[in-house]
Amino acid sequence: MRISQQAKEETRTRIQKTAAELFLSQGFETTTTRDIAGAAKLATGTLFNYFPSKETLAMSMVTEAFRLGIADYQKRRNDTENLEEELFLFVSANLRRLRPLRPFLGPVLERSLSPFPRKTICPEGETTRTEHLDSIGKILVRHGFIATPEHVAITIYWSLFLGILAFWTNDESPHQQASQALIDYSLQMFVQTISGTHADAGADHAE
Amino acid sequence: MQSDNVNSSDSPTLERLRQVLPKDRQHDPNGERLAQLLEQISRQKVPVGSFSRIWLLGSLQAKVTGGYLAYWLRSRFASAKQKVVLKNEARLTAALQLFGTMGYLRGAVMKVGQMLAGLPEVLPEEFAEVLAALHFQAPPMHYSLIREVFLDEFGCEPEVLFASFERQAFAAASLGQVHRARLHSGQQVAVKIQYPDISRTIRSDLRNLRLLLQPMCMTKDWRYQLEKLVDLEQMLNMETDYRQEARFTRDIRALFAPTEQIVIPEVFEAYSTGRVLTTEYLPGRHLDDFLAGEPDQALRDHFTELMTTATMRPLYHKRLLLADPNPGNYIFMDDGRLGLIDFGCTRVLTEEEEQLQHEFELAVMAGDDTKIDQMLAQTCYFDTVEEMEPERLRVVGQGARWQMEPWAKEGVFDFGDREFFHRGIQATMELCRKGYSRGAPTWIWANRFILGARGVVYRLRGRCDFHKLYAREMELLQTGERLPDRKIHTES
Repeated sequence: MRISQQAKEETRTRIQKTAAELFLSQGFETTTTRDIAGAAKLATGTLFNYFPSKETLAMSMVTEAFRLGIADYQKRRNDTENLEEELFLFVSANLRRLRPLRPFLGPVLERSLSPFPRKTICPEGETTRTEHLDSIGKILVRHGFIATPEHVAITIYWSLFLGILAFWTNDESPHQQASQALIDYSLQMFVQTISGTHADAGADHAE
Repeated sequence: MQSDNVNSSDSPTLERLRQVLPKDRQHDPNGERLAQLLEQISRQKVPVGSFSRIWLLGSLQAKVTGGYLAYWLRSRFASAKQKVVLKNEARLTAALQLFGTMGYLRGAVMKVGQMLAGLPEVLPEEFAEVLAALHFQAPPMHYSLIREVFLDEFGCEPEVLFASFERQAFAAASLGQVHRARLHSGQQVAVKIQYPDISRTIRSDLRNLRLLLQPMCMTKDWRYQLEKLVDLEQMLNMETDYRQEARFTRDIRALFAPTEQIVIPEVFEAYSTGRVLTTEYLPGRHLDDFLAGEPDQALRDHFTELMTTATMRPLYHKRLLLADPNPGNYIFMDDGRLGLIDFGCTRVLTEEEEQLQHEFELAVMAGDDTKIDQMLAQTCYFDTVEEMEPERLRVVGQGARWQMEPWAKEGVFDFGDREFFHRGIQATMELCRKGYSRGAPTWIWANRFILGARGVVYRLRGRCDFHKLYAREMELLQTGERLPDRKIHTES
């Protein structure tokens, strides 16, 4: 019997929901695919038809949260923002959608978004990175900056964003206020760097 | 990169610095060493990971400020042994580097430095202006950040919560900024929004401030300085909770009847949280605008009287010391009413402190010098007057007597009297120069309160029958006459 597309979607959603509950209650590291399949009332093999690994499963939730974040950002943007403000809106909208996943996000992001060379690349992680950076590229183009080659700006941005994500996942302040301040300062610094308006900013470091 | 050997002939800035910086007659008669130190430090960049947005010592003005701070700190240990002097010189260099990295307290420290830069002579007008600018300032927030604060605090955007919301702030506040908005009822309000996680910046700045003052650790009063810094940190942290400020605002508002022409804005609870405070918007002018209209003496006196009552009432009836009487907190309304805003920096006196204050007022009014000296010794943590060094007693007494002069004089008191204000500056400066800081932490707030308020009424050139206003407040207290029928609900 063929499974309809709708049934597939429902199963996929059920797996994600069950996995999220288990990650939240017992942690990402200690939850196995067998645990997830059992709780979702599926055979482990069936689960693998949907997600090849636990990391991919977790990262699929991140990807979807980021997609919703990008949609929120597009809805909230009103074209009056300057570059710094628009980047802040974009990053904040993404983090707001990621919030429910925050308790187990650290190891997931570490495995799937690490900028260092890895033996296996997480396809979901790559999708997230590409979609995120596509949006950033469009924002930079819309604001017409020319001083820094785009690939350099994008690389700087991604490093900064991963740093923000790492800080944010460990941020114990209410509503992650400390991260908000960090994002504000970081993006200001990023914009100054790529726009070249502060040519000597940070040029000489304390000796 | 920075060369160690700065040649003055190559550097016009260094030459200018040498000209304007103070000269240490004994150790550095030409001011060369101090200028070189500042020039070297200013060329170093702080690491970009620092929360600092700009490197302050980069400008000549900042260097001069830093120079005077260095000069002042040096004078604390000038007479120490050579080994100690060298150790402190190293601390001083480190401290000056930190000076440029301050985020939140930077403005205030800068202003203190500028004030010290006026030594030995400061004009009353300059002093009043410095006092006016002596406040803390958070970084400005763009609208995207404001929206995030609202989503966290209220679960919706500002433009949903309010009928309208102005995206541009109309005023800076000590911990954030203030926006105009309109409630759905049509009422215009002022919405104060706090910069995220400002308490972390405050903590970091105070750590730097402690290090900045480290060269003073050899002085006898060092531990009292530390005690005051702890108190300062506690006050600043308390200020970060806008719910506390809302309580102070409500309590103080309850003390005034509409006929008294003193307006404390209403707090709108449903639109306020720990980081957002929404109050009634009070239309009017601030001091500079008001003075630009060249008000006549009667109007100046009228507002001076209102200001006096507005600060006396909370002090005597609720033990609330309004410790931040900067000009921005007074609103001169066109109908002659005085608006008072921003009660974040309010110190609740203990019953003992209140009693001490009251006894001191009685001693001053009775002209009882023996009692005054005893009380000065007590407030400086000495058991007897004899234990207190005569010079300390003289300098502390001079400052305290100047502060209490309005209590001692019957009839109209002229706060615009240049000679009076000038004496106050001299007394304050002498206290600073001598570094006499032994005493209760409340002193900081009492001094800030009196100096700040005197700076405002000096610029206003205002007069009032202070003694009569004081007597009226005492009478209200003693007769137990009911204050306006609004319920008072202080929570400590």
